[in-house]
Amino acid sequence: MHRVFKRSTAGVVALLGALMMVTLLTGCKFQPGWGYNKGYAPEQPIPFDHSLHVGNHNIQCQYCHNQVERSKHSNIPALSTCMNCHLQVATDKPNIQKLREAYDNGGSVEWVRVHMLPDFVHFNHSAHIAKGVNCQTCHGEVEKMQKVEQVSDLSMGWCVSCHREPENKAPLNCSTCHY
Amino acid sequence: MSEMHHDHELEMKKALRPNVERDNKYWLSLEQWKNDPEFMKMAETEFQSSPLKEGDGEDGWARREFLKLMGASLAMATAGCIRRPVQKIVPYNKQPEEVTLGQANYYSSAYFDGSDPIGMLVKTREGRPIKIEPIENNPFSISGLNIRSQASLMALYDPERLQGPKRSLFNEKKTNAQVIDVKWEELDKKVVDQLKKGDVALLTGSIASLATRALVSDFAQAFKAKHYVWEPLANEELREGQKASYGDDVVPTFHFDKAKMIVSVDADFLGTWIAPTAFTNQFVAGRKDIKNMNRMVSFDSNYSLTGANADIRFRIKPSQQLSVVMGLLHEIIVKQGRSSYAGNASIKEVLAPYADVATQFAMDPALFSKVAVDLWENRGQSLVVAGGLQTLTKTAQELQVAVNFLNSVLDNDGKTIDAKGALPMHGSYKELTQLIQSMAAGKIQTLIIHGVNPAYSLPEEMGFKDAIKKVKMVIYTGDRVDETGTHADFIVPDNHALESWNDMELSNGVVAICQPAIRPMYDTRSFQLSLMNWAYMAGQGPSRLRDYETFYDYLRVFWRSEVHPKFGKGQDFESFWQQTLQKGYAGSASKGSASRSFRLGAFTAIKPAPAQEGYELVLYPTAQLGDGKLANVAWLHELPDPVTKIVWDNYAMVSLATAEKHQIRASSVIELKVGDKKMELPVHIQPGLHDDVIALQVGFGREKAGKVGNGIGKNAFALATVSDSGVQFSGQIVSFTKLKKKYELACTQGHHSMEGRNIVVESTLKDYNKGQNGVTRAHVWSIWSGHEYSGHKWGMAVDLHSCTGCSSCVVACQSENNIPVVGKKYALMGREMHWLRIDRYYTGDPANAEAVFQPMLCQHCDNAPCETVCPVLATVHSDEGLNEMVYNRCVGTRYCANNCPYKVRRFNWFNFAKLIEKPMHMALNPSVGVRTRGVMEKCTFCVQRIQEAKTTVRNENRAMKDGDVKTACQTACPAGGIIFGDLNDPNSKVAQIFKTEERGYALLEEWHAKPSIRYLSKVRNNDKESTGGQDKGHGTAKQGEHS
Repeated sequence: MHRVFKRSTAGVVALLGALMMVTLLTGCKFQPGWGYNKGYAPEQPIPFDHSLHVGNHNIQCQYCHNQVERSKHSNIPALSTCMNCHLQVATDKPNIQKLREAYDNGGSVEWVRVHMLPDFVHFNHSAHIAKGVNCQTCHGEVEKMQKVEQVSDLSMGWCVSCHREPENKAPLNCSTCHY
Repeated sequence: MSEMHHDHELEMKKALRPNVERDNKYWLSLEQWKNDPEFMKMAETEFQSSPLKEGDGEDGWARREFLKLMGASLAMATAGCIRRPVQKIVPYNKQPEEVTLGQANYYSSAYFDGSDPIGMLVKTREGRPIKIEPIENNPFSISGLNIRSQASLMALYDPERLQGPKRSLFNEKKTNAQVIDVKWEELDKKVVDQLKKGDVALLTGSIASLATRALVSDFAQAFKAKHYVWEPLANEELREGQKASYGDDVVPTFHFDKAKMIVSVDADFLGTWIAPTAFTNQFVAGRKDIKNMNRMVSFDSNYSLTGANADIRFRIKPSQQLSVVMGLLHEIIVKQGRSSYAGNASIKEVLAPYADVATQFAMDPALFSKVAVDLWENRGQSLVVAGGLQTLTKTAQELQVAVNFLNSVLDNDGKTIDAKGALPMHGSYKELTQLIQSMAAGKIQTLIIHGVNPAYSLPEEMGFKDAIKKVKMVIYTGDRVDETGTHADFIVPDNHALESWNDMELSNGVVAICQPAIRPMYDTRSFQLSLMNWAYMAGQGPSRLRDYETFYDYLRVFWRSEVHPKFGKGQDFESFWQQTLQKGYAGSASKGSASRSFRLGAFTAIKPAPAQEGYELVLYPTAQLGDGKLANVAWLHELPDPVTKIVWDNYAMVSLATAEKHQIRASSVIELKVGDKKMELPVHIQPGLHDDVIALQVGFGREKAGKVGNGIGKNAFALATVSDSGVQFSGQIVSFTKLKKKYELACTQGHHSMEGRNIVVESTLKDYNKGQNGVTRAHVWSIWSGHEYSGHKWGMAVDLHSCTGCSSCVVACQSENNIPVVGKKYALMGREMHWLRIDRYYTGDPANAEAVFQPMLCQHCDNAPCETVCPVLATVHSDEGLNEMVYNRCVGTRYCANNCPYKVRRFNWFNFAKLIEKPMHMALNPSVGVRTRGVMEKCTFCVQRIQEAKTTVRNENRAMKDGDVKTACQTACPAGGIIFGDLNDPNSKVAQIFKTEERGYALLEEWHAKPSIRYLSKVRNNDKESTGGQDKGHGTAKQGEHS
């Protein structure tokens, strides 16, 4: 049989692999933030300023994210929602003109998703809102954010830490989220 | 391999690679890598294919490259944790009012494909239809779904559907079959020019839509066209029989629920005949009260679903059908001297040759005469039915007349047979024959074909393929260039039924509106709108045909003027329309009619058929494929045949004795010879089949259905024979020779015996009345401490007494849970993925085997054997009694599947989800994860539905009530055989069954896995003391021991 590796090469590979493994494991142990998107704050096509809308103008979260109480998803508002105000307000700003243009052309805006969960996790916004969880509990002080940033790491440990609190009476079954 | 060559290959791969956008800002830690060209080159190849190819390792280069790649991918892996693809969210321009992301919308509709009209709901998510659900309490179809209505969803997303109109590039002789795109304007103009020349004919299938029927007749009036209706499974024999017997040209409806004694002569009313979903509802309704349950006797020439569910099943061959009915008449009228006809000499004379039918046919004479006695004693509450392809023999008409006479003698007409509630089957082979004759004579210039595929489903000697060449212009409104499409000059792609408005008459008196659930996906146009457009352009026809821009307008006007006055009950039209949409139907089912007088002349004209020697052919449709219209839907091929459990093929069935006689084995291939037609087929040895019968399924062997359906099995329609009396599908003499070939059939149930264990428990009514229901209790001491269920505890009851094995639940589960299709090759290896299967066991002597069905799914055991062996805790127990499967934890050891006593766990050997071709991915249920390779999966008790119900209940601030959660299999079941609910809720139906139902038993109770499913034992109403095995001698299963 053809030998693919020389014995010495194989040894080096094994050593390298072991080293990587050790690095990985210690990394995961002492740097629990690794692998999560905490602090992720991508540039958006239009720099929508939550601190201005929510902080200064006191617009309710649910004014735009209006389906959050009845859906598992919190919707990104349709352009028509923006236009409720921006047909009149700040129409001279280039970004609003960009928005207006997209609206008039029947187009949309490609926002960059900030909070992402893997496909095997089913999170339900409406269930949490109904229990009285504030938006800020998970999303941080959005009313102070000029650019939205992921505040929590959205890891399973983070989810479960809250579900485990006895006063929350939250289910801890795997199938609460994974199905 | 040279380095340069390799570089070139890399470039090629790079070009082919999908451009995944990544957020560069986020790569901060990897910035140093970014500009390193060496690394970039290596990164390009990462994951694209295996670093080592076949033949690599021959030279030193590959080895070096492999090491480099290894290093690189390891480095990538460490840093790779934080590498995420950028996802974009594109919100709506204007928020559609009805769409809430993540919430399903339901649209009422109805389904009919030539048989089995049913009401249904279309479940849509974010504008995509993803599942078909039943409409509860529909007056005709009552509840549940059939297989094909659910699978029709996949026809919507069939990647091979036509995406725009086509025209053929025919030469003079119409021998070539190329098609090219054509513009609608050009098509319409050419068609209208041709239509104006006259001699127009329309060929359609049975049209259940009232408005479409009106529109077609408007169109026919506009162009002086003749409308021909034909279906491969036409039910013409019933209408002819009704006409001869009573003068009514109708397919009557039947009330199986009112019948205490049912005799079916080859009418597969639980599987394929006329309206099986409604009939299953009715039939089971007449059995739920066990002490007063009905009795069903089947004279069966193939092993049909009806035969499998019969209390008493006689195996016959097609040439005996008429004699059986005449024999029953002889028993009642002559032998027992019952009924007002007892003194009628001419009737006695007609019946005289049938005095010893039972003995002649090797049936038990006492049993046979008991059938006649039961019929007579339940007169007015009994029902005899015959029909379907299996009865289309030389004596098909006589059989119908005899059956009608028997029903009239028994005073059933108007009670269990109801001509008032006529069903919308209008197809006729006679009409088609006339059309083909006109076509061949060159009398037809333009032919519009809609909804049928005659080039596939007609035997050659009908002459369709030659005749169609004589037609100047053929317009075909199919959704693909199929067997008939290749003969058409223009292919005018029709919308899928879920893309357009329509209405439907389920039976006379019950109507429904079909709403579109999605905008037409492609450049297609509904058949109705095409006709309207052509009439408008030609300026011909009644004004309502020309005046409206869409078929929706026509439909509304039609309903306003024709339907509303009949069904509106004084309501104004708008609210009637809205209410019909909301409820999903209007009207009520016919409850019976006056009894009609029988025309004796039709009966006395019956001549005894000469006895036939030799093997007889039986052609029959299957519940999954029907006439083969949906042959390109993989779900239907993957669904095990309800009786034989074979997938992805059709086959010739022979009895065990015949197989032994000719040394035929399970993988043998035989050549059938019917007249001068030959066909090679693999053999399946079927218990309970008559020794002189060779049975064979139609609907397979499509040539132009598409990638999935092409070449699956053989086209058995070709074996039908044409004579003066019509097209004959069964009873032809067939001979066969064994070939020196082998062909393996994929059967999903290799083991048909229960090996004497208490798996399916059944008893006879006699035993049941004595308090023996066959259930044995096992009391086992447990080492487990048990679980505590303080909230909900989910459980299910499966009533084997109700289950007919129709397999509707299997398709529902597949649709709900994104279950992949694996194909024949892997089905042969036992890798099928269905979470819910229906096991079918035979009991008794193989020659007269009885069948029992058992839906088998994850039992959600309290002491689950799978949970204890999982090394990574990927399958764990929830505090609601669910056996959870956590896909993201599963590493694929398959220990759990090995340790499951019920064999319900399924392993993803491949990344099946990746094979889903666009746009079929649109049918995936977004509430259920799609599993990847190396992951175990199984029934979850539809946990997504449980979660959804919990959220709904919480948001509505109320407690969960029974019926809030219904599993997919439960809703699809037309027999109401599956009941799901909370065992901790004492008022729930399932909790009461667990507590009080005597027939309930846990599967393999003695193993003490403590399943959350109780099966309720089956009761057979056959006058015997114990079921199965012993009294019949060679039982493979020893059911009798337990009772």
